[in-house]
Amino acid sequence: MGYLTTFYWGWLLGSVLLGFAMGWISVVQHGDGVPRKWRWWLAALVAALVAAAVARVVPGRFGYWLDLGLIMFGLYLCGCAVGSWLRDWVVSRTAPPA
Amino acid sequence: MRGLFKWSSKWWPGVIPLVIFWAIAAWTSTEPLEADLAQRSAAALKDTVLNKTRISVAGRDVTLAADAFSEDGRQSAVASVETVPGVRLVNDETRLVPEAKPFVWSAERDVVRVTLSGSSPLPATKSRLTEAARANLGGVEVVDRMDLSRGAPPRFDNAALLLLDQIGKLKEGKITLSDTQVSLSGMARELGGREAIAAALKNLPEGFSVAANEVKAPPYIFQAYKDPVALTLTLTGNVPDNNAHAALGASAGRRFFSEKVVDNLKASIGAPSGFAAAVVPALGALSRLSTGTLVVSDREVKLSGDALYEAAASQIRAGLGKDFPQGWQFKPEISVKPPAAPVDATVCQQLFTDLLGKARIRFEPGKADIVADSAGLLDRLIETALRCPTANIEIAGHTDTDGDDAANQALSEKRAQAVADYLVKAGLPASRFSAVGYGSTQPIAGNDTDQGKAQNRRIDFVVK
Repeated sequence: MGYLTTFYWGWLLGSVLLGFAMGWISVVQHGDGVPRKWRWWLAALVAALVAAAVARVVPGRFGYWLDLGLIMFGLYLCGCAVGSWLRDWVVSRTAPPA
Repeated sequence: MRGLFKWSSKWWPGVIPLVIFWAIAAWTSTEPLEADLAQRSAAALKDTVLNKTRISVAGRDVTLAADAFSEDGRQSAVASVETVPGVRLVNDETRLVPEAKPFVWSAERDVVRVTLSGSSPLPATKSRLTEAARANLGGVEVVDRMDLSRGAPPRFDNAALLLLDQIGKLKEGKITLSDTQVSLSGMARELGGREAIAAALKNLPEGFSVAANEVKAPPYIFQAYKDPVALTLTLTGNVPDNNAHAALGASAGRRFFSEKVVDNLKASIGAPSGFAAAVVPALGALSRLSTGTLVVSDREVKLSGDALYEAAASQIRAGLGKDFPQGWQFKPEISVKPPAAPVDATVCQQLFTDLLGKARIRFEPGKADIVADSAGLLDRLIETALRCPTANIEIAGHTDTDGDDAANQALSEKRAQAVADYLVKAGLPASRFSAVGYGSTQPIAGNDTDQGKAQNRRIDFVVK
């Protein structure tokens, strides 16, 4: 993982920034989110992919692409979390007290 | 935290550009990543001794195929690639090089090249042996047909290098090392080469031994050519040592009284036993020929040329082989020189005088036995006598003044008679010769010096 980070930090930084932007928007966005029932399925899918990556069961280039995708997705989620939290902090500070 | 969970349900739209990012990243990065990992893996294997190494990378998975020379080396090679940063999995397709049993290595030399074949334990050894062969055999093509195998005996390199030194001493042949057993065959380049190889093999590393040494020495050649036009006797080839050289030279000087001896002999070891005992009489036989060549090759003596008359040819054909040591062969190719034109008695006398002026018929001291060295001179006297068949000849014996007169008289008579008998035995009619002894009564030089006495001890031919 460390090798991938140093090798393609540009793409990873892009994923973080994308996540940050998405997180920033999501706090004030109106609209439907992912239904609760889907979330569990998606979480299970991600967990299965992570398990496959850790167990190294996917061979060759597909294995590499899986690793790359999961790292980018993980950093995207981190970016989202940081973006959402910061936006929430900014919004709550500027909003007039109830 | 609850807020984060709530917001996360709205993060999904960003996944769409993320997937695009991912696809582009995967598209552009895969091949450079694979190339980089292949390069790093190869660098990690730089210090590991492997043969036929092939590295292929798919994603972050490295497939390593190679021939290793030991189980430790094989495992260490795989471990080295596994520790390369970025490598996810190593598909181990390494194997051990085959084990050779017995471990056979050979070097074969022919006229134009040296071929190294068989097994070599390591690539470094293989190239070292090839380079050593090139260095030892400057200018000779070296062909490397060695395979790599396990199972070499300890100190193989040292043994093989020592054997490569020996291949330089061969004209053609093969040296084989089978485990620790050395076999040699072929022909040494020079006389003494066989002995030099045998001496060098004593320095083989511990544990190695010589199973068979069938290196042959080149033929031991001695040649003599009698040229009747240039009046030379040319000696070429080898003699065992300086003593034999001097003895042969002296013998040739006595027997070839009319020819200049051109001595190109060189002393070389490796002469067959009985060399001098065979070559000295063979030179004697050559001295009896008008023209001829003597070739001694190992224990085979070939004498070809023209005898001066038929009886001499028969004597040489039948007689020479008898004098040879055991194991020697004589191959005569003797023909007879066409008879020379007849001459009258005066010319005959002149010819006798010329011949006896150049050399004297020699006898054993104090006896009437003609020594073998005089056979060449006697043949020429006989040939001359044949040219004047009507002339009667007195064979006159003379002595010096040593001893009493009666004894000298008797000795001179006996010696003259011995020469007459020799001529009759050669086929000349006895009626043409009268043997007369003069004792010391007709000196041709002073008897006060050894030289003078030697001149007075003589046989004269007088045409009557």
